[in-house]
Parts: sequence; structure tokens; C-alpha cells
Amino acid sequence: MGPNGSGKTTLFHLIMGLVKPCSGRVEIFGRFLQKERDFRPVRQRIGLLFQEADDQLFCPTVLEDVAFGPLNKGKSPREARDLTREILGRLGLAGFENRITHQLSGGEKRMVSLAAVLAMEPEILLLDEPTSGLDDRTREKFKEVLLDLDLTYMLISHERDFLAQTTRTLYAIERGKIVRVHSP
Amino acid sequence: MFQEPFARGTSVIHELDPRSKVVVGVSYAFFVALSTRFLTLTGALIISFVLIGLARLNPGAVAKRAMVVNGLILFFWVVLPITFEGEALFDIGPFPVTRPGILLSARITLKSNAIFFTFMALVESMSAVTLGHTLNRLRVPEKVVHLFLMTYRYVFVVEEEFSRLLRAAKIRGFRPKTTFHTYKTYAYLLGMLLVRASVRAERVQQAMACRGFRGKFYCLADFSWSRRDCLWCALMTGLLIVLVMLEWTTRV
Amino acid sequence: MSGPVLISGMALAGVGTAVGLKKLDYEAVPQAGLVSAVFFVASLIHVPLGPASVHLILNGLVGLILGWVAFPVILVALVLQTLFFQFGGITTLGVNTVIMAVPALLGYLLFSPMLRKRAFVALTAAFACGCFSVFLGSLLLALALVFTEKNFLKASALLVAAHGPVMIVEGVITALCIGFLRKVRPSMLRTFGKREFS
Repeated sequence: MGPNGSGKTTLFHLIMGLVKPCSGRVEIFGRFLQKERDFRPVRQRIGLLFQEADDQLFCPTVLEDVAFGPLNKGKSPREARDLTREILGRLGLAGFENRITHQLSGGEKRMVSLAAVLAMEPEILLLDEPTSGLDDRTREKFKEVLLDLDLTYMLISHERDFLAQTTRTLYAIERGKIVRVHSP
Repeated sequence: MFQEPFARGTSVIHELDPRSKVVVGVSYAFFVALSTRFLTLTGALIISFVLIGLARLNPGAVAKRAMVVNGLILFFWVVLPITFEGEALFDIGPFPVTRPGILLSARITLKSNAIFFTFMALVESMSAVTLGHTLNRLRVPEKVVHLFLMTYRYVFVVEEEFSRLLRAAKIRGFRPKTTFHTYKTYAYLLGMLLVRASVRAERVQQAMACRGFRGKFYCLADFSWSRRDCLWCALMTGLLIVLVMLEWTTRV
Repeated sequence: MSGPVLISGMALAGVGTAVGLKKLDYEAVPQAGLVSAVFFVASLIHVPLGPASVHLILNGLVGLILGWVAFPVILVALVLQTLFFQFGGITTLGVNTVIMAVPALLGYLLFSPMLRKRAFVALTAAFACGCFSVFLGSLLLALALVFTEKNFLKASALLVAAHGPVMIVEGVITALCIGFLRKVRPSMLRTFGKREFS
């Protein structure tokens, strides 16, 4: 958590190598990372869910978007397709393959972006304000899906309740430093 | 605001393989554009009507679009017979109405409508996304296809942003007039759209990088070719040959 | 339009697009696509001009931002226009692309170096580019019509003259828009140039 502009998103971007630090170094999985190339293996193992779904859903159909990650990883089109169907099914989005991305509702876009990131089969998930703009029902669904996932994740959110229900440890960024928060 | 009213349907035309539709549509369009004989043009027009009928397109939408195209043609009817040089048939006031002028206008009418209806029946009966995939399969370079798909993807987002910005301006009293202030406002709106587009594009690039993008785009589309498609291609090629012969053998 | 005109239009458009595509990195496709989307939406805006209103053409602006990439971008935007609104039609796609993109490209080659100079020089150049692009575009259209049918000469001349007021408006809007971009996001004006793309 943290006030607007405190650097939460920047932290995620640093981890993914989208932004370079002005000072200090980035160390992930025990290695120091500097160049663009160094971050490629990181991006295979860590998934980032962007704040705005529209930025992440750039392919015309849902199938293509979710399959984008696996295809880049080297899977064949058939494997990518099967993986996509499986993930969409798991998230309750069965039958969405041929939907056109810009015609989806906000909640659907968010879920499809999650599917697209999960399709990379990451070990760690970074979620940037995943529930902003979602109605209660979609938020509940999102929460269920999240709790069901078998991986480590980091959440940025302003919603204390959501954080309380989905996370074990709370950190805050204050004045450029990460502080552990003890929740009441 | 942008609609694809014909993209979904259940007619015979909608179920044909899109590749054949595009190839047939483009060939016909070019052929008609280059023809001059009235018999050929009329034949092409009839064929195009049949295609529209087969595609069972919404008549209201078809009519609306037809009016736009024919509005321009009407303009030609008014201007050409009068300004064209040639043997005059009769006079309207001081202006001679020439035969070549009338013939040309007639030709343009037949031609434009034939091309327009064929295009509507064959190409607009698929979504833009399908068109993109089809072009990819037809060996159009990948970069262009994905440029096309990405533009299409974000046109709706940009349109929405523009509406919001314009509305915000109007709420603060902006009224478009022929003034420098109006142009400045529009220029700034445009600038804002471009900046937002550029920023968003950057985020899309980041999203692509995060999902392992390595400089290759993939197209996952399933096309299936059936016997019906073979029949269709044979039929249309036959008709085209007939039209070509008409073009070469008749005089008018 | 006549055969030779259509075919040469397609050929030229093909060449221009091919060069533009070469200069377009895969990573830059989103940028180009988004600019293309804005260009498409913007071409539907109409601004008041005297008693009527005109549609913006903006090929000068697009040329200044995209350089050679303006060719494929304009082509794509025109295809979308044909799909959605039936403007033009597929046979004239090549010719229309040439009519809009060649002036955009020339505008870029002539005027973009000046965009880096002092504000006054840059904005004047932008204005000139906006005017020039529309003028050249109407000239090319007139040429295409005349080559189709010699009798169109009078009508074509009228066409070019009619674009006079639009030229001025486009010049003004292009200049103001470039001014805006220089202040808010100058990197946009360098992304597609001969400079690096990072």
C-alpha cells in the first residue's frame, strides 16, 4: 500500500526490468540484473498484471491474447491453444476464446488479462491494483481465483479489506522506504 | 460509433471461406473498375445485387450506405453532363448537356454501385479481425497485418477518449465556431489524444516485453476449405470470364 | 479512375509502404498503430469553417510524426475507413494512399529538421507543412482525375482552389498541435525519425 505516487508501480516495473534504477542494483533469484537481456528469464518466471487492462489486452481476440505468452515461450500453436482453453476454463471464462477484446466489459477484460499472465505459468505474480473499477461480484470472483492459485503473489491495492482477505503480510511505501505494517 | 453491422450473419455468404471472398471480391472490383461496356457493367451490377441478396444483409443499413455513395454520384450527374465537351443532346438554359457527359455519368453510376455492393456483400460480411487474419494467410506482410489489427483494436479506445475530452470542453462552455480559439482547442484535443496514445503504446510495449515478445507476431486462426468453397470459386470465376468476354466483344 | 492511374497508384503505394515497413521495428508497431488509430478518429472530426464544416485531413501532422512510416499507417487507416464507412473503395486504395501519403512524406523530409529549432521556426515550419500537405494532396488528386479523363481539367482546377481555406485551417491546427507536442512530449517527434528508437 501507499499514497498515490509513492512508487508502488515503479517497484513492480523495476522488478520486471521495465525501468532502470538511478542508483543501487536489482537482484532477483540471486542474480544481479542490469541489461535488458538479463531480465528475460525473470519475465518467464514472474508475471505482472498491469493496472489498466486495455494496455495488456492488445490482441484482437481473447484466444490470441492469452496464447501470446506461451507462443513466445516456444510452444506450438496447438499447445498454446490447449493451454489457453484450460486457463480460461479455470477462471470461469470458458467459451471466451473468440470474443473480441475491445468489446469486453471492464471486469471481463481484467479476468482475461489475468488469464493471459497466468498462461506464462509464472512462479510469482505481481498484481497492480487488480480490483480497481470492479463491481462487487467480479471482485469476489477475482478473490476466489486468487486464493485458489498455487503461487506466490504481491498485491498493490488501496482496499484494505481485499488486502486483508488475500494476503498474509502487509507492507507500505513511505517516503521512499518499504516498511512492514502491523495490521490491527 | 463505428459499427460492423454486416459482420455477423448466417447466410450462405457468411459461411464461405474468407480467403475466397477476399480474392473474388478484389478481382471483381478491379475488373469492374477497368470495364467500360454497358453490358458488362450491368451484368456486374446484377451479380452484385444477387450477392447482397444471398448475404441477407440488413436492408436498412444497406440503403443508408448506398445513399452515401450515390450522393457523390448525384454530384457527378449534375456536373459532368454540363462541363464535358462533346456533342450536345439538348440544352438546359445556357448549358449544353452532352452525350459523352451523360454516358460517362451512367457508367460511373453502374460501376460504383457494382463495386460497392460486391464489396459490401463479400468483405463486409466478415469482422475486421477475420479480414486481418485472411490477409495474413494471403501472404500480406505480417507487420502490416498487425499494424492493421492493432489500429483496429485501439480505435474504439481513442474514440471514447476523444468523446470524453470533447464533452469536458463543452461542459466548460466550448462552442465550435470559426475562430482561432476553436482551432486551438481542437489542436490541443488532438495533441492530447496523440500524447495519450503514445503513452499507452509504451505500456503496450511493456506488456509485450513482459510476456516474452521476441519480434514475431503469431496468427491463430482456423480456416477450413470445403466443397462449397470450391463450387463458389468455380461459379464466380465462370461469371467473371463471361463478363470479360462481354467486355471484349460488345461495342457500347 | 482509369486503369493506368489505378495501377500506378497501387504500385507507388506498394513501394512507399514497403519502405515504411522496413523502417518500422516490430517493437514500434504499437506506437504506429496507436498513432494510426488517432489519425483515423481525427479524420472524422469536423471543424467549423465559415458557414460549413470541414473534415480534418491531417496528413501533414502524421508525416511530421511518423516520417516514412506514414505510408503504411495511412494505408491502414484508409482500409479501415473503407470497411467502416465506404469512403473510397478498394480499387482506389492505392491512389488514395499515394495522394495522402506522398505529401505527408515530402512534408516530413522538408520540414521535420526545423522542428528541433526555436519555437517560432518550428511552428512556422509546422504551419507550412500542414498547408503544403493539403495543397499537394489536392494537386495529386487533380492530376489523377486529369490523367483519367482530360476533360476533367476544369473541374480539377476548381477542386484545388476549393481546398484553399482548408489549407489554412490545417496549417493552423498542425502548427498548434506540434507546439503542444513539443511542450508535452517532445520524444514523440523523434521516435520515428532517423534517430534511435529505445
